[in-house]
Amino acid sequence: MDGAVLHLGSGKPTMTEDDALAAKGAPSEKGQARKPLIKLDKLSKHYGNHTVLDGIDLEVMPGEVLAIIGPSGSGKSTLLRCINYLEPPDGGHVTIGDISLNAAAAAGRSELSTLRRSVGMVFQSFNLFPHMTVLRNVSLAQERALGRSRKNADERSMQLLSRVGLADKAEQFPGRCSGGQQQRIAIARALALDPDVMLFDEPTSALDPELGLEVLAVMRELAETGMTMIVVTHEMSFAENVSDTVMIMADGKIIEKGPSQDVMRNPQQERTKRFLRAVHDR
Amino acid sequence: MSTADLFAILRGLPWTVALTLGAFLAGAVLGVPLVAARQSRILPVRFVAMIFIQIVRGIPPILWLFIIFFGLGMSVFPISPFNAAIAGLGLIAAANMAEIYRGALASIHFGQWEASLALNLGRWSTLTDVVAPQAFRVALPSAASYLIGLMKETAVASTIGVSELAFQGNQLSQLTFRGLEVFALVGMFYILLSLPVAWLSRVADSYLQAKVAR
Repeated sequence: MDGAVLHLGSGKPTMTEDDALAAKGAPSEKGQARKPLIKLDKLSKHYGNHTVLDGIDLEVMPGEVLAIIGPSGSGKSTLLRCINYLEPPDGGHVTIGDISLNAAAAAGRSELSTLRRSVGMVFQSFNLFPHMTVLRNVSLAQERALGRSRKNADERSMQLLSRVGLADKAEQFPGRCSGGQQQRIAIARALALDPDVMLFDEPTSALDPELGLEVLAVMRELAETGMTMIVVTHEMSFAENVSDTVMIMADGKIIEKGPSQDVMRNPQQERTKRFLRAVHDR
Repeated sequence: MSTADLFAILRGLPWTVALTLGAFLAGAVLGVPLVAARQSRILPVRFVAMIFIQIVRGIPPILWLFIIFFGLGMSVFPISPFNAAIAGLGLIAAANMAEIYRGALASIHFGQWEASLALNLGRWSTLTDVVAPQAFRVALPSAASYLIGLMKETAVASTIGVSELAFQGNQLSQLTFRGLEVFALVGMFYILLSLPVAWLSRVADSYLQAKVAR
């Protein structure tokens, strides 16, 4: 895959790529003066009596790459899905840029649509549309959600497909592509809407290790362009080497959060140590 | 049997075709709002649609035709035998098609809905661009076999005097006293009618399968 010229966040009013890169270069000094792009206040979610998210407070700066790791059932995926209201939280606030939603009040359709417009999402199982060509998969939402013309949408799609190394697959159907290719198409599809933040829900868990690598390469490249990313993952090397921040979750709570190298190499909490030991012992 | 006899039976053919297509079209169209109601988020709407479908499917077709033609037709508003048959069979087809659509919708992976939400497609686009084309492909074989079933079911219209195939056959057998040959011939016509439907369904299915290749 060639990582030649990257036109990623073109036309985004809220943040230029330079800003994002600057923020990334010095997250500690410049980051504090900046407003967080994503802010969660006391976010909670219950299924019946079961507490899935227990008052999560979280801030993500523009350009930050946050990896969320932790045991299954810890609420990592639910947290991700609450950020764009795929699952509505039942308590707390979600703020993305200028949009703020109160979980206690029922969210209107236009509010949700505004919120989701700034969030791109990549799923574990890709969820491409099997009856459309790869190109159509990437172009459809640009036309329907952003009102781009077919021509402009297709142009942008081809740009993104070559970025993920799949321009030659444009006229194929997703079923003809490998899992790794499908996930790269799904990334291009999400990027096509020029989101401010990209959410990844275990993007490599459904892939064998080799195919996972090509997806991780695309994600690493994306991180380097200054895209704000929240990644739920079991890929420890991605968490340690690509993300700026690592957050460990267990039982619906944040156990530990900090700069990735610190958390991964020198965890402070006993629960984190236990989890990382279990991962390394495998 | 003379050619005149053959033509007598043939006169029923257009009526059978018209009944089949008319009832099927009515059912295919009316099945859409019916399945929408059946899947509605509003409980009373869902409930009414469910009861409606149960009642329509629970009563034999011949009884529906009697209810509409002899019941409503004689006491509420006059209705021709053909229109009564279209109304009755169309009603039944709508309920059956709604159930076929429901099964097809249920087969769509929830990830498709989630991706549509995350991509901000909106409800209309989600339905028309993502869900309906995939559901159509799933519904096609069941819809085709239902169409063949419906074609045979139109024979009940003979009981209220629509001069379709079975009616013509019955008339002719009473005139000629050669029931065996006459009804064998009528049966042949039904088989001949079902062949293109089965063939079309197979062709459409394999075309769609080749296109999506999964």
